Amino acid sequence: MNSIRRTIRPEQIREFILVLLIFAAILFFGSQIENYYQPRTFTRIASSVAILVVVAVGQTLVVLMRNIDLSVGSIVGFTAYFVGRAIVNNPELSPLSIVLLAMLMGGILGLVNGIIIAYGRVPAIITTLGTLAIYRSLLVQFSDAQTIITSALPEWLVNLPQVNAFAIGEWELKLIVLIALVIVVIFQLVVTYLPWGRRLYAIGSNPDAAAMSGLPVTRMTVSAYTLCGALSGLAGFLFLARFGNITVVAAQGMELQVVAAVVVGGINIFGGTGSMFGALLGTVLIATLEQSLLRWRIVSEFWRDALLGLLILLAVATDSVILSRLRAFWARGGVEQVQIEN
Amino acid sequence: MTEPILEMRGISKRFGTTQALADVSLALYPGEIHALLGENGAGKSTLIKVMTGIHRPDQGEVWLNGRSITINNPLEAQRHGIAAIHQEPMIFPDLNVAENIFIGHGNRGSIVRWRQMYREAADILARLDVKLDVRSSARGLTLAAQQVVEIAKALSLDVRVLIMDEPTASLSAHEVDQLFKLAKTLKANGVSILFISHRMEEVFSIADRVTVLRDGRFVSTHPASEVTPESAIRDMVGRHMDDFFAKTDKEPGDLLLSVRGLSKDNVFHDINFDVRAGEVVGFAGLVGSRRTDVALALFGIETADAGSVTLNGQPVTIRTPQQAVKLGLAYVTEDRRQLGLTMPMSITTNITLPTLHQYANRFGLVQQRAERQTAETFQQRLSIRTPDVDRPAGTLSGGNQQKVVLSKWLNTQPRLLILDEPTRGIDVGAKAEVHQIIDELAQQGMGIIMISSDLPEVLAMSDRIVVMREGRQMATLNRSEATQERVMAAAMGQTK
Ligand SMILES: Nc1ncnc2c1ncn2[C@@H]1O[C@H](COP(=O)(O)OP(=O)(O)OP(=O)(O)O)[C@@H](O)[C@H]1O
Ligand SMILES: [Mg+2]
Repeated sequence: MNSIRRTIRPEQIREFILVLLIFAAILFFGSQIENYYQPRTFTRIASSVAILVVVAVGQTLVVLMRNIDLSVGSIVGFTAYFVGRAIVNNPELSPLSIVLLAMLMGGILGLVNGIIIAYGRVPAIITTLGTLAIYRSLLVQFSDAQTIITSALPEWLVNLPQVNAFAIGEWELKLIVLIALVIVVIFQLVVTYLPWGRRLYAIGSNPDAAAMSGLPVTRMTVSAYTLCGALSGLAGFLFLARFGNITVVAAQGMELQVVAAVVVGGINIFGGTGSMFGALLGTVLIATLEQSLLRWRIVSEFWRDALLGLLILLAVATDSVILSRLRAFWARGGVEQVQIEN
Repeated sequence: MTEPILEMRGISKRFGTTQALADVSLALYPGEIHALLGENGAGKSTLIKVMTGIHRPDQGEVWLNGRSITINNPLEAQRHGIAAIHQEPMIFPDLNVAENIFIGHGNRGSIVRWRQMYREAADILARLDVKLDVRSSARGLTLAAQQVVEIAKALSLDVRVLIMDEPTASLSAHEVDQLFKLAKTLKANGVSILFISHRMEEVFSIADRVTVLRDGRFVSTHPASEVTPESAIRDMVGRHMDDFFAKTDKEPGDLLLSVRGLSKDNVFHDINFDVRAGEVVGFAGLVGSRRTDVALALFGIETADAGSVTLNGQPVTIRTPQQAVKLGLAYVTEDRRQLGLTMPMSITTNITLPTLHQYANRFGLVQQRAERQTAETFQQRLSIRTPDVDRPAGTLSGGNQQKVVLSKWLNTQPRLLILDEPTRGIDVGAKAEVHQIIDELAQQGMGIIMISSDLPEVLAMSDRIVVMREGRQMATLNRSEATQERVMAAAMGQTK
């Protein structure tokens, strides 16, 4: 028993359950929806995952340290729109500078969040609820209620979502999906191997102790929000590429999906536990439900958000019941090692 | 003598109306072990928090190597080579043991080298002679294990000044020995150590110099050779203290609790003991001897796999703490920070929380005056140092918080009281007071189980002593046959 406890962590059991749930969802929808098992279905799910997961990675950074960012949807919409505007006005801009512009824009909005939270000592949930509204209002204000339309965008951008990284027969891996996966891997490494990443866990785990141990809590808060903003900016770019037509309500409500993905993915909303891999699994489940419900006629559009809400509640509830039991069981295994040698 | 490494000059610090420190000066020389003594609330921890940049002093200066410096936060203190083990362990429950030790280090390179970290952590723990899996999660570590982690954390830093605020409060003799050996090595290397403890024997076994604070003021600094425990205590309390309190002998009453063959897989095994009305049964043992787990099982927080518990002649299976309380049990936890107190709530509310229904009038409203009265009675009996009982419990000093936890459970008037380290962090004066209260309760017919790592306390207060080692009951000694040597021998697993 002890050797099992040492090699498997309770969080891994949770991730395994999530994988089973994803398969269960696919099997269920396969039986309900005609022609469900087609490469197209999965490509569509994957594209949706690609955008969501980039934001979820940023959100995870923030949630790990016992914070939250509700403004991500607005940041995605904001960057999607204004990056689009920039391209329309300067078609000669290179793809790389466009991507950097998107991340810079998002990063600045995230930095504002971070500064208000870290230095202004306003609770994260209040701050980002405020900026959720403010960033969206800025977008509405400065866009003059005009929309970006696909036909005004350069060809490379409009075609980007169709570019394959590689393909095997009808099954293909899109470039944007690959980029998203690379980001997940990079940030999984960041939170495992960089002191900065480990400190996110420490701060979320016990903020008082973190301050007492001399961890740079304020600086870390600012940098985590800035990164979350920059990643949301990148997602804004992907959003623009995928949809082309951007109105002022673009990505509205995305924060619900992202928080759902993160929480369902096993990142503790009180900080301290979770992984990027978990966030990816959470996103896959949420995106699968989203895309499949679109095609499942029994369920009306209005119920989709309710279902997301229900999932968040379920995930948190099972977390506090099941995971805490698992943990207690594991912890006792750990304490057994406390012995004194003579 | 050489120049001091660290010097505090005329430090004052106020919290609202409490003058925690008033014009306190203290010098630490290289290669000395300096003990800081004082009653609960004397200002010891506050002084340390000033040294480590957690609190900013209102007045006064900090000098390091002959230069005046300001320390704005713990990280800066660390950069100056000042590290502290704080009174309340500061554990990150979601990280593993090794990470807890190294997380605060600013200088371990840009990448976490897990293997190296595990190895180094294991080395440090080995130096402390503690077997603790460095990969196991810190969640659920016992208080003693948490304290070991705190010690390892400080030792792993390259320090010139090491400050230890009651590092030994929940450790037993063996771990204390190891810690002191290490302290002496550090001292030989020129590190200066500031050490706080309420256990006089420890202080005099290790300190070179002794400084006493009283009511936030500096009283005296003497070489240890010129101080006796009596004179130090006189300085601390400003009056002469009576000797150590011992339990009065009395014929025990009816059998209250009988435990037979109590076992829990991999935790403890075949525990047998009785508690009669009016008896105090002491539990002695080293860290990790599983005494707390037995108590938790009795109180329904953990469940045993085998064995029987009989209460007042009735076999019982206690599954939840609520059930235990209904059956007349009370458990005073060792971990006051996490389980014992609601820090932002007032002292009064904390004390009356489990007995709130007794304070309701016939309309079901809580009578605050009666609540207050109870709180003030306990404040007086245990000399809880606070301007008034409406303050948040979190603003009390560590020892005074412990007194509030005790008050809370004493007020429930249980039939069987389980005390886990009841005098942890309590100063000498109040300790005698607590012992006297325990004795009074026993006289009134309460049965008491007392887990304590303070051996003199166990010997003085117990009618019977159960000695445990790694989850096994090694010996059960009657008052007449129990000596320090016999208890230690059993706890270390030596059978004569
Ligand atoms: N954060 C705070 N807010 C208000 N009062 C405080 C605070 N910290 C300490 N105090 C008060 O300052 C005084 C000194 O407390 P301190 O913790 O330094 O005592 P101590 O000597 O360490 O006692 P003990 O032996 O019980 O640990 C106490 O009266 C305490 O109530
Ligand atoms: Mg203290």
